[in-house]
Amino acid sequence: MSSLVSFLDWCSRSSAIVFIRDSSFGMPAVQSVHLVGLTLLLAAILVLNLRLAGVSMMDWSLPSVERQLRPWALGAVTLVMASGVLMFLGNPAKYLASGPFQFKMIALCLAVLGQFGILRGFFTADPDRRPRPINVLVAGLSLTLWFSVGWAGRAIAFI
Amino acid sequence: MSLLAWCQWLEQTPLATAVSESVWLFPLIEGSHILALPLSVGMIVMFDLRLLGLGFRSWPASRMMRDVVRWSKFGFAVMFITGGVLFMTQASKAYGNGFFRMKLLFLVILGINAAVYQIVFYPKMVQWESAGSTPLGARVCGGLSLIVWIGVIVCGRTMAYQF
Repeated sequence: MSSLVSFLDWCSRSSAIVFIRDSSFGMPAVQSVHLVGLTLLLAAILVLNLRLAGVSMMDWSLPSVERQLRPWALGAVTLVMASGVLMFLGNPAKYLASGPFQFKMIALCLAVLGQFGILRGFFTADPDRRPRPINVLVAGLSLTLWFSVGWAGRAIAFI
Repeated sequence: MSLLAWCQWLEQTPLATAVSESVWLFPLIEGSHILALPLSVGMIVMFDLRLLGLGFRSWPASRMMRDVVRWSKFGFAVMFITGGVLFMTQASKAYGNGFFRMKLLFLVILGINAAVYQIVFYPKMVQWESAGSTPLGARVCGGLSLIVWIGVIVCGRTMAYQF
């Protein structure tokens, strides 16, 4: 554990991280990338869950909608994660001690676990053969998880 | 009344002072402004990518207009209301901020661009779709929209660093 902390500390003092953190346009640029990625990622998740809930994209099957969205969602995840790591490394101790940050990481794990684990069956099988209320419930749960990651992220700056 | 005086007056309105003085309202409104991005800009950007032929090729653009772009009006309603209130709380600082001015200019450009698309290309969407190719003009609208929306996000994020 202490070696992890010293590694993070070493990262936070590396010239690239210091440059991003302390230059006047470093953090705005990194955070802009984070927001553009968030926009695209959550848009894809919205469309996917609207299809699951049976309110949009009803001309296509859920798996085919997922296939169309996947490359853009993965690209957006890459932007969000890369920019997120750069922000985190600027001040690891501050983030690790932040309640909203801890909550955000837990919510993120749950959202990913839900999307690719526990709830995966709901997104891969034909939802139109299940009772509609179940689909609406799962879509609501998935959206709540993903958007709570965003809200927790915003709370880091305020709490 | 000058524009700056109007901004100072806005900051003194009961709504603006209530939001500024509340511990919870400002973060809640600002958070809503950011988290409405996927439902507003996100939907438009997906449509732009389709017009450019970069993604979602198995979905005809006219269907995306109906099934994806349609939802953006809810997102933009949240955006304009929350953005308006946020502006009221810090109007004079925003007035003097270069990034805020650029953001407004970008929004005007996007409004004109969307109107051009709606008038010139939207009525003939089904026709050019069955012909199997997106007109160059429609692709230019999509590309412009994609780039300028990213510019709006960058300006919106960056302006707050100068407050």
